[in-house]
Amino acid sequence: MSAKSGSATAERAEQAIKPSQNLSKEDCLELFKQLYLARYFDVRLIKEKKRGRLRGTLYSSHNQEAILVGSLFGLAATDWISPIHRDMPAFFMKDFRFGVDNPNRLGMSIEEVCCQVWGKEGSPGRARDNWSHIGSKSKKIIHSTSMLAGTIPVAAGVVYADRMQGGNAVCLTYNGEGSTAQGIFHEAINYAAVHKLPVITIVENNQWAYGTPVEMECPTPDVADRAKGYGILGLIADGQDVFDVYDKVMQAVEHSRAGNGPSIVECKTFRAYGHGDHDDDRAMKYRPAKEIEEGRKRDPIAVCRKRLIELGYLTGADKTSYMAEGKNAGESSNDDFPPEIIEFMNKGIEFAMNSPMPAAEEAEQWVFWDGDKP
Amino acid sequence: MSATTVAPVAVKKNYLTALNEALAEEMARNPLMLCQGEDIGKLGGAFGVTEGLQATYGDHRVVDMPISEAAIIGSAVGMALNGMTVMAEMQFIDFISCGFDQIVNMMATYHYRTAGEVHIPVVVRGPAGAYGGGALYHSQMNEAWFCNSPGLKVVCPSTPYDAKGMLKAALRDGNPVIFYEIKELYRKREIEEELPTEDYIVPLGKAAIRREGKDITLVSYGQNVYHCLDAAAELENVGVSAEVIDLRSLVPLDEETVFNSIAKTSRVIVVNEAPMTCGFAGELVARISTKAFHLLDAPPSRVTRMDTPVPWVKPLELHVLPTVDKIVAEAMRIVKF
Repeated sequence: MSAKSGSATAERAEQAIKPSQNLSKEDCLELFKQLYLARYFDVRLIKEKKRGRLRGTLYSSHNQEAILVGSLFGLAATDWISPIHRDMPAFFMKDFRFGVDNPNRLGMSIEEVCCQVWGKEGSPGRARDNWSHIGSKSKKIIHSTSMLAGTIPVAAGVVYADRMQGGNAVCLTYNGEGSTAQGIFHEAINYAAVHKLPVITIVENNQWAYGTPVEMECPTPDVADRAKGYGILGLIADGQDVFDVYDKVMQAVEHSRAGNGPSIVECKTFRAYGHGDHDDDRAMKYRPAKEIEEGRKRDPIAVCRKRLIELGYLTGADKTSYMAEGKNAGESSNDDFPPEIIEFMNKGIEFAMNSPMPAAEEAEQWVFWDGDKP
Repeated sequence: MSATTVAPVAVKKNYLTALNEALAEEMARNPLMLCQGEDIGKLGGAFGVTEGLQATYGDHRVVDMPISEAAIIGSAVGMALNGMTVMAEMQFIDFISCGFDQIVNMMATYHYRTAGEVHIPVVVRGPAGAYGGGALYHSQMNEAWFCNSPGLKVVCPSTPYDAKGMLKAALRDGNPVIFYEIKELYRKREIEEELPTEDYIVPLGKAAIRREGKDITLVSYGQNVYHCLDAAAELENVGVSAEVIDLRSLVPLDEETVFNSIAKTSRVIVVNEAPMTCGFAGELVARISTKAFHLLDAPPSRVTRMDTPVPWVKPLELHVLPTVDKIVAEAMRIVKF
C-alpha cells in the first residue's frame, strides 16, 4: 500500500467516532485514577528524595502523565513499549487496566520499579544502570539507555522480528522533542517507513530539552510535520488531555495494525520542573516563572476532571475530592490522593527499602553470555 | 547399470566463497536468522559475500537496507531482543563508525545491563584492511575501538577454513561479534583450500600456530600473518627460526598459546596493520610484559601502522604499513638484543 493511501486511511479514521467515545464509565474513571497514580509516584519520590531517603536523580513526569496514561491504555498485551527517562511510571503502568495483581499482566510490579529507583537487587536490571534504564523482554518493555532516540531502531527491529514470527504487535517509543535532532531519529524512522513497520514514535514536546528551549532545537513549530517527509502518518495530540492522547495513539495503532506502517504522534505538553531534580532550582534561571505558572493551569488531572464532570461520571462530592492538580511536590499532601494509591506506593517503597543491594561481585558478571545455564 | 565411480575432484575454495557458504548454511540451519546490509540482496553485496542468498531465502530474510549503519545495527539489536539471529553487513568496515553508538552503547552493554535477561546474537561483519590502495576510508582496521568496549567479541580470520568456521561459530555464539574480514584475502589464489563437506566450526578464542620456530615469536592476525610467514622464510635464510602465531580472535584472547611460544623463543614481536597508539599490539605487549616478563630475553616489540591514516597511492601506503622488510629488520634487532 502506498504512503498516500495510508494517509487516506488516517483521514477516514479521523472522521469516524473517536475511540475515546467508546470508553465506558469504568474506563474513564480508570484513566482518572491512573493519572493520580502517575502523579503520586512522582510527588512521593520527590518527597522521599527531600527527606534524604533516596539517592540518584529523578526525572519528573509531573504534568506529562496524560501522555503515558492515554497512550498505554489501548494497547494489547502483545504490544511493546520503549519508555525513556521521563516515563518512569510507564514501567509499572503497562497493562495496568488488566488488574495490578493479574499474574498475566505484562508490566512491572511497583516493587520492581521501586527497587530500581532505590538501587536494590530486586530491580529488573539488578541495579546495574540507574533510573529508567531498565526493561523486560518477557514483559515487552525495551530497555532504555541515555542515548536519546537510540531505542527507535531497536523498536523497529523488535516489530520486524514479531512480524517474521507471525505477530501483529506495535511498539510505542517515547521521546522528547530534543531527541528529534539526533541522526538516529531520522535513520530509524526512515527505515521503519521503508518497511512499513508498526513503530509509533511518540514525541513528548514539553518545550525544553534540559536547558534549551524548543525554538533552539527544532526549526518548525510541529515535529509531527516531519512525518510528511517519510510519507507516514503524523498526528498532534493535546498532551494535557488524556482522552485526546488516547484517541491519537489509537488512531496510530489502528493505522499500524492495518499494515500502513509507522507514525509520529506529537503530544504538546509542558515540563513542570527542571530537567532532573538536580536542576530544579537552576531551572528558574532559564525558564520564565510566568511560563511555569501558565503551564500549571492546564494540569492533566484538572482537564480530565472537567471532562468526567461533563460526562456525568463525577457527581456530588466526587467532583471535588482529591484535588491534586496544580500542586507541586511541596504543595501537595497525602490528602490530595486516594488512599489505595498511597497504599500501593507504600508497598513498593517499603519493599525496596528493606531489600539488599546486589553483591559487589555481580559487577563482573554478565559481560558475556555463556549459554543457557540450567 | 554402470558401476563406474568417479573420484570427487578436490575443489579449492577462496576466502570469500567460504564466507558465503557459512552464511548460506547458517541461514538454512536457523529459520530465525536474517541478513541485512547495503546492497546485499540482488547485488549480493559490494564484494559478493551474500551472493545468491536473497534468491534462496527471500527479501524478508536477506534485506537491502538504507545507507544507515545505525539503523542496520540498531534494528538488528531489536530483532535479536525478539528472538532472531542477525548478520549485519558493513559495506566496508570503515563505515562501522556511523553505527558506533548502537554498537558500543546499545548492543555491547545489553547483556550486562539486563543482568543476563537478554543476550544479543548479532554478527557485524565487513571487509577490512589496507594494502589494496583503498585509501583513508576503505582500508581501516579499527578493531581496537571494539576491543575497548566490554561485551563485544572481536575476531579476524586469515584463511578460508577459518573464515567459514569462525563465521559459523560467531553466528551461533549468542554474543555480539565484530567480524573483520580481510578484503585483500577474499580472492587470493595462494590461500585457497579444500573445505570440509560436513558442518564444522572454529571456536572463537583459539589462536593457531602457523609456523613453528625456536628463536623468535611473531604474533599477528589477518593478512599480516602472511607478511610474518614471508618474513619467517627470509629469517630462516639467515639462520633465525621464527614461530608465527595467528591470533584469529582478539576478544576473547588466547594468551596461553602466545605465552607458551614465548617460553620457547624468549623473544616476541606483535605485528598488525592498525595504528600503533592504543592499538591491539600495544595491549598484547602490555600483557606479555606483565604476565610473561620472566620468559623474555629481549623487550617485547611491535610492528604496526604508523599513527597516520592510510594514504592512497602505493609508495605512501606501504610507507606507513607493516611490510616484510620492516618485520625482518625488527626481528634482527630483537634477536641481537
